[in-house]
Amino acid sequence: RWVLQQLIQENSLPTLVNKGNLGAAPVERIHRLVQDEMDVCSEAAGRYPSNYNAWSHRIWVLQNVGRLTIKILLDELSSTKYWVSMHVSDHSGFHYRQFLLKSLIGRTANDDNTLVQNQMGNEQNSSLQTEEECEGAEAVCVEEQSVDIPRYLEEELDFCTDLINTYPGHETLWCHRRRVFYLQHHLINKLPLLSVVVSSADSSDETLHNSHPNPATSHTAQAMDVDGLNESSSKQSYTQETKRLKRAPMQDSFGPEVEYRFIDKVLSTCRDVDQARFATAYRKWASVTPFFIALLQP
Amino acid sequence: MRLYSLSVLYKGDARVQLLKAASDVSTFNFFQRSSVQEFMTFTSQLIVERSQLGSRASVKEQDYLCHVYVRPDGLAGVVIADNEYPSRVCFTLLDKVLEEFSRQVSRADWPLGSPATIGYAALDEYLSKYQNPRDADPMSRVQAELDETKIILHNTMESLLERGEKLDDLVSKSEVLGVQSKAFYKTARKQNSCCEIM
Repeated sequence: RWVLQQLIQENSLPTLVNKGNLGAAPVERIHRLVQDEMDVCSEAAGRYPSNYNAWSHRIWVLQNVGRLTIKILLDELSSTKYWVSMHVSDHSGFHYRQFLLKSLIGRTANDDNTLVQNQMGNEQNSSLQTEEECEGAEAVCVEEQSVDIPRYLEEELDFCTDLINTYPGHETLWCHRRRVFYLQHHLINKLPLLSVVVSSADSSDETLHNSHPNPATSHTAQAMDVDGLNESSSKQSYTQETKRLKRAPMQDSFGPEVEYRFIDKVLSTCRDVDQARFATAYRKWASVTPFFIALLQP
Repeated sequence: MRLYSLSVLYKGDARVQLLKAASDVSTFNFFQRSSVQEFMTFTSQLIVERSQLGSRASVKEQDYLCHVYVRPDGLAGVVIADNEYPSRVCFTLLDKVLEEFSRQVSRADWPLGSPATIGYAALDEYLSKYQNPRDADPMSRVQAELDETKIILHNTMESLLERGEKLDDLVSKSEVLGVQSKAFYKTARKQNSCCEIM
């Protein structure tokens, strides 16, 4: 990492000075650097299951060297797709995809606030507008293009469905599903993105119970634990907390009904004991969240 | 998810004969590769020895799963895979390979055959093709019921052994394992990480 940091410092000066002319060259170099690092990370990730270090380095590289450009995020999304489908129990790999999706959402939200507001309504129109503005411009403008986030999230959910059906009994896939589902609804409802969730994630179950004196909720929270999904790793408990705080509003193309249909289908066709257990737990999650989210609404 | 080895054996009355094998040890440390290969052969043979005719089983050993199918006629196949690889696909593969093998190699050659004498070349190709289960077998998902209740699951290799039998003894008596492999096994055992290379 130290080496990379030195390179970043070197590059930041020239780019400022030669903005118009040599803007392209450092970008090229950066891309190559990032690509090399990605390859190293993939190699490391392949050697040890759930290699937290490799993946967090990968994230660091994106954040510091690649500066989270939309192009890089999208490239990474497509290049990791095959890897995660061949490593279906590697939670870190999927967490990385969740990070990419989350960053994409964050990116598009920052670049153009009006774009986010328009997203519910005239998605098509606004994307056309910005594309025209960016016609023939530099890489900088790529970031201002509207990225069809809902589509990516839906694709991710479909991808997850496909994997769940092909490889029954992998908890990682179900966890991933919950996260993607949450991201979809974050987008629609413009809930504060995970910062609220993060602060609650560290708090124990008791804190959550204290804030909602509803006996039913504490019981279901217990049920979730009993389901055995509350593992000791912080990542798992984080997921548990987030799933409690997520909303499932009534939407057209997705929402709890769609999820219920999917769950029922899985339960009726699967023969794997674990798969049935995960599907049932997911169903519980989907039915419980509305209570919690209603309380989170500003 | 990976496949590590695919082998065809014959379970005769007296002994188990290895007929043909293919392996992929590319993910292992270069210096360990030949030992790993030997252990996979050793394991495959042992499993077939301890399985009944007309049975299917999956034997779990650390991060590996060995899937075996011993046909009623004595022809047997073993696939060694990792934890992620769907077992359904393994059994489909075994069925397919054994069927093809029995058509191509005459029954008379089975009891005394060895990898050198048997002329069946498709194992390597199958092994590499099935590394990606979806490409290799897209229909496996909607496949007809392979009655999974009939597959015996062993949680360790030791459950295959008889009372009083020790894996250590079998390893040291084995003809299949080279001196180096046996030594490696001993040291790995001492460090309490049995067959860690596997």
